[in-house]
Formats: sequence, structure tokens, C-alpha cells
Amino acid sequence: MRDRETGTSVTDVNLTNRRARTFKFAALAGAGLFVAGCAENAAQDTTDPAGTNAQMIYDLSWPIFAIAGIVGVIVFSVIAFVIVRDRDRGQPIPEQTHGKPILEIGLTVLPALILIGVAIPTVGVIMALDETDDTECIVNVTGQQWWWEFDYPVQDGCGGVTEPIITSGQMVIPADTNVLIRGTSRDVIHSFWIPRLNGKRDMVPGRVHNLRMQANEPGIYAGQCAEFCGLSHANMRMEVVALNDGDFESWKANQLEAYESPTDEQALAGEASFIANCARCHQVNGLEDADGTPIVSRPDLQVYPGAAPNLTNLMTRNTFAGAMFDLLSQSNREGVAGCRERVWEADPDDFGALYLEGVDNECLNEVDLREWLRNSPAKKAMYADPEQLEPTDGLYRGMPYLALSEDQIDDLLAYLLERK
Amino acid sequence: MFTTGSKFLIGASVVALIATVVYGIGQGGVLGTVGLASATASLIGLATLNALLRDSNVFSDDPAPVETSSAAQFAPPPSVWPLGFAFGAVIVAVGLISYQSIVIIGFVALVATGAEWAVQAWSERASGNVEHNAAVRSRLSNPLEYPVGGAAAIGVIVFAFSRVMLWLSKTNTTIAFSVLAAVVLAVGFFIAFRPKLGMGAVGGVMAVGAIAVVAAGAAAGLDGERDIPVFETTSVWQQEAILHPAEYAEGAEAGSHPAGLICESPEEFPEADEDVSQTVASKSGSYQVFLTEDGTIAFDVPGPIEEGPAGMVIPRSNPTNVIFRNQSDEHRRLSLDRGTQTVEVEGEDAIVRDQICTTLIEPGGAQLLTVKVDQPTFAADGQVNPNGPGGEAGDGYWFFVPGVDTAKLEVIVP
Repeated sequence: MRDRETGTSVTDVNLTNRRARTFKFAALAGAGLFVAGCAENAAQDTTDPAGTNAQMIYDLSWPIFAIAGIVGVIVFSVIAFVIVRDRDRGQPIPEQTHGKPILEIGLTVLPALILIGVAIPTVGVIMALDETDDTECIVNVTGQQWWWEFDYPVQDGCGGVTEPIITSGQMVIPADTNVLIRGTSRDVIHSFWIPRLNGKRDMVPGRVHNLRMQANEPGIYAGQCAEFCGLSHANMRMEVVALNDGDFESWKANQLEAYESPTDEQALAGEASFIANCARCHQVNGLEDADGTPIVSRPDLQVYPGAAPNLTNLMTRNTFAGAMFDLLSQSNREGVAGCRERVWEADPDDFGALYLEGVDNECLNEVDLREWLRNSPAKKAMYADPEQLEPTDGLYRGMPYLALSEDQIDDLLAYLLERK
Repeated sequence: MFTTGSKFLIGASVVALIATVVYGIGQGGVLGTVGLASATASLIGLATLNALLRDSNVFSDDPAPVETSSAAQFAPPPSVWPLGFAFGAVIVAVGLISYQSIVIIGFVALVATGAEWAVQAWSERASGNVEHNAAVRSRLSNPLEYPVGGAAAIGVIVFAFSRVMLWLSKTNTTIAFSVLAAVVLAVGFFIAFRPKLGMGAVGGVMAVGAIAVVAAGAAAGLDGERDIPVFETTSVWQQEAILHPAEYAEGAEAGSHPAGLICESPEEFPEADEDVSQTVASKSGSYQVFLTEDGTIAFDVPGPIEEGPAGMVIPRSNPTNVIFRNQSDEHRRLSLDRGTQTVEVEGEDAIVRDQICTTLIEPGGAQLLTVKVDQPTFAADGQVNPNGPGGEAGDGYWFFVPGVDTAKLEVIVP
């Protein structure tokens, strides 16, 4: 069927319209990708290395990307040339030839030489990234659906650790120090990845894998589990916080401070509520019952992988729930920038002091924390439905709904605010 | 002369007549004889009527209807699918009175053959050309038949292989499949170097091979798996001693096993310690604990060892693999004492040691021990571990080697 005025067929018009739509979509997608590269404050930007290990990878990737790009352009150009030159115009098939030894050997040797040229620096970087002899600080990292635990073993490194320190969500390290992560997993394979500090490393149950970590300057470096690990994989985040040596010493000392029971009436009620509702899984070091007996949590009896975040110094961290939510609010504070931005965008010289302030009543992201306590499975996808726990013998994967009253939540907030 | 329908009815009349005579003479039943005679009369009547009417519509003298009538068209080739469908129905029926898995197999056969039957019947109406109809069927069915059929064939062969492997001993399995691989390679070479070899011959060889594998698998499967010995673990002995102390003591007095807890004993226990593996495949990514020649324990972990107070740090509630390497001159086991636990012994709660251990390892041998500690070290504060070095420094969790007093290593759980 043809258009009476133009003489073109309807089929041709439809095809042209479809091609135009496809082209517009491709152009829009391409522009989107291009513009995405211009993003500022991209917390997980591999092209913005902030440590020697990430810098090594970055320095290696650009020349390889350039070589691959040149090879790609040549190959695609030749293909395009051949397609255009020999397109079907009804001509006979071009002469088929076999056996051009020089060309064949050349096309075999040239890629081999290119690959050797790429392999030599690549192997060098791989070996350098595997180096552990220059370790100055060791942190044990354990992955679990869907959060990360960090513990600092007793060591002379890290400026000296006299008692084990345990935390989660944020790994605090001394800046400009070669830190060695010794990682494993309690349940499934996870992958530890702080893009601005180093590449990925799988954390495998039953195995111990090492990963170097070093940050040039104090600051917060965001990361993300990089191995699909189940329902809330996308919400399994972590941050590395680098502090200068003095601030790191202060942080360690604070982590090891003896527990002090609250004196405020509401916080005291919160402590009782914590013991009744939370201490089955969450450890607060130093917490004792009415008889003075230390309360030891037993997450292994409640949670399938066997552990839950230690909350002894929760408010010294900036995040909770597997670093999915900020503990610092976005709101303004007496004429200064939002609490979170104030820390995240601080000058490296000022960062440590701001970070060590921790979270106080004015800066607490009360909305998310309150909602989390009210109904955590509604905030983060987890296997927390008691009726669907048969495969795990009744054990949860994630935090269950606790049916806390609003008064209990108020009390718990008051108690948790003192955990720093 | 006679039309097709008339021939059928005349034949039926003759059969009925014979049946009437035979039954009437042989059986003598009046009712049966009358019935058969009536049927014979009816058939003769129908045959006569049909012969007069020339099958109602066919001009027998005119050859054209013979060529164009539907009855004169091609006969579809015989189909195997109805047979398969019936076979599937029988399997379902058998499964309903035996095992659910057979019902599933029958149901799959039923659906598959039913679908094939339906597609074939559909294609046979496409035209009067048999080849064209077959092509129509193939165009619809082959994209599904080939991958599914190929996967099923591979599955059957792999399953047959596995049955044979489990039937043969470990050594004979290695030999048999090495020989088989060599034969496959040799046949492959032979076929490759004989390009003129007919496809029929190649197909025949492959068919024989496939049938041989499936037959061997079926035979091996029916005969059952080889005997795979099961050894008691150290945990079983440990639990037995704790939960049934009286029976355990009787066994020890009778000399069937040493007295005491296996994880605290340097002696050999039957079943648990005999013929156990002394090597581990894992070479990296694990903690390692060494019993040295001088009777002390050293450990290694990937990366550098933390300087400072000696102790191996493992995450809480994490199954941690530890390779025990015995570098001493004696057979030794590595034990971990995780403090106390409360268990019910003969109806009453009892507080006992919570221990796990390797089997007895020969000098130079190694074994993997997976350790998991569910409570942090501070939970054991003030509880002196009898298998630690003693005193206040002995609180917590300790690796120890029964029979070697100097072999102690603290396990620290943050």
C-alpha cells in the first residue's frame, strides 16, 4: 500500500519511524551514560583513587584501556570498511584466498605481543597488591547477610591494640597506613569493595582472604558488597573511615572505655528495654544484669549466620543497619550545614575531630532509626517472617519485628544515644 | 465388482454364520444361537442392501472417485506416539500404586508423547504431501526436540556413568575410566583418519557405545553402590562419654576403648582413629596450627601474624577451618576446649567441658578441624580452663594437645 501523495509505501514509513525511535532512544541512553560520568561527589568512583592500592589499579587501567580502545577502533574500522565496500549489490562473491603466511603469522604475533605488553605490568600490580610484608595494621573483616563486622585483634600494629575492638558498618583505620584486611564470611560469599581504596576481594566461608587497604588522607570512603549474596545484597554497604594517627588513638581509646550505666531516667528505662528485647542478639560490652552478671548475647540461638552487630559504641558510627541508613541527619544544625554533610565533606584536617564527635541528639537521624526499631523488616528486606523460617530451623536472617511500643522506642533511643 | 463396504459386510456375515453354526452345534445354547443367527441375518440383509446401493455414493465403474475420494488419499505413516502415550498412561497408573517419582516420570512421558502426537496429527492435515507434512512437523518440533532430547540423552549417560563409578571400587573406577577415555580417544583418531568411513558405521559405533554405557549403568545401578565405610567421629565418642557415662565406663573396663574423654586422651580410640586420612587438600586460605618438635604450638594465618600477646583470633560464631599439622615424633591430636556447657545426663542437668578435637594424627600428618566458638572470650572471664596454662591466664578458650603439657594456644574471640 502506497501513500498517494509521496508514493512511499506504508511499510517503508513504519520502518523509518521505528529506526528513528531506536536512534533517539540510543542517543538518549548514550547521553545519559556520558553525563553520568560528570557526576560530582560520587562516593564509589574507581576513577578517583584515594590510596596507593587504588592508585596502582587506576594507573594500570588507563594504559590498558587506551590500548584496548586503539585495538577496538582498528578492528571495528576494518569491519565497517569491509561491510561497506563489499555490501551486496548483486556482484559476484569476491575471490576466496587461502594461505598468506606473513599476514597470518603477523596477525598472531602482534596480538600476542600486545597481550605480553599488557601482562607484564598487570602481573606486577597483582603481586604488589598481594604484598603483606609492609603491613602496619591488621583488621579482621567478617561478612554476614547483610552487614560487615570489623574486629581489631590484639597487636603491636595499628599503634598498638591491647584488647580486641569490635565494630560494624564502618571500619576505622589510621590514614596513610598500610592496613591488612583478613576477611572471611559466616554464611555465603560476599565481596569487600571500597572502590576508592582498592579492588574487590571475595570473602568466602571457611577461608581467609587478605586485602590491602590504605587511604592517603582522613575521610570517609564508601563501599558496597560486590558479590550477590541474597535478598538485601544491594543494602549491604560499608564505609572505611580514615583518621590521622592522633584521632585514631582517640577512637581506639573510646572504643575500649569501660561501660557506664546511664543515669538519665529514660535512658535507664531504655537499658532495661534493651536487655529485655535486644540483648539476646546484640552485645553491649560491659552490660550487666541486676545481679551484676555480665550479659552475654547469644545471636547463635536467634540468627542463622550466628552473629549480630555489637552495639557497644553505636553512636560513634555514622551508620546503622549494615550501613544502609545514616545515623547523622541531613537537617541543618544551628546555622551550619546538615550534620551528615558537615562530616562527609569536611576538610581532611578537620575531619577527625568532627567524626569523633559521634552522633548526638541534635544530629541523630531519628526518623530512620525510629522506623527501624518500629519495624525493621519493613525498612530492609530480610528473612524475618517467623512463619517462613523452616529452612533455617526457625533462625532469622536479619532483624525481626520486635513489636516495640512507642514508649519503648523512646526509651531505647535515649539509651542508644549514650552508646558512644 | 463388489464395493469396499459390501466386501466388509459380506465377510462379517460369513463370520457370523460360521459362529452361529459352531456355537449352535458346540454349545447348544438356544439364546446364544438365536442371537448369533439374528446377527447373521441382519448382516446378510445389510450386505445385500449395501451391494445394491454401491456403498451409497461411489460410482464403481467410474475410476475418478477412486482417485479423488478422501479414502483414496495417502495413508499417514504409522505413528509411535500413541504407543508412547499409552505407555505413559501405564507408568502413571503403576506410579499411583507405588512411588510418586514414577507418577512424575509417567506424567512427563504422557505430556511429551501427547504433545508429539498432537503436533504430528496437526501436521498431517497440512497437505496431501507426506514429505511436506513431515517438514511442517519438523519446523515446529525440532527446535524443542533437539535440545531437550540432547539434554535427556546426556543426563542418562551421565547418570549411567555415575552408577558405574559408584559400583566399582575407587581404584578400579580410575582404571576403568582411564581405559575408557583412551578407547574413546583411539576411536576418535580412527574415525578422523578415515574420512571415507560411512556415516552409518560411525553412527553404529556411537549407538553401540551409548547402549553399552546405559546397559552398564543399569546393571550397576541394580547391583547397588560399593560399600563405603563409615567411621565414628571424635565428636561421637566425646558425646558418648558425656551422655552415657556408665555404659562408656563399662566399655572401657571391657577393653573396647580407652577410658576418659577422647579429646583429652593421647591414646588411640577404635573406629575414630583407625585408618583416618592424614592429609588435607586445602593448601591456602586457612589457619594452621603446628605441634612442633619441641612440644609447643605455633600457628599461621594468611598474612602476617599479629605481634603482641600470643593467641589466635577468630571471629565469633564463625566456622573457621584450622589445619592441624603434627610435626612431632608421636601420634597426636589437637583439641579445643571451649569452656563449659550444660547438658542433660540421665535426666539431670550436668555441666561438662565443651571440646572438639581431631583424630590421632601420625608424625608429619595433617587434618582439618572446623572450630566455632559462639561466645566472646570475656564470657569466660573468671573461669579457669583446666586445659589452659592454669591460673588467671588460663581463662578463656584453649587449643591443647593431650599428652603434651607444654602445647597450649589461646583462641581469642572478640
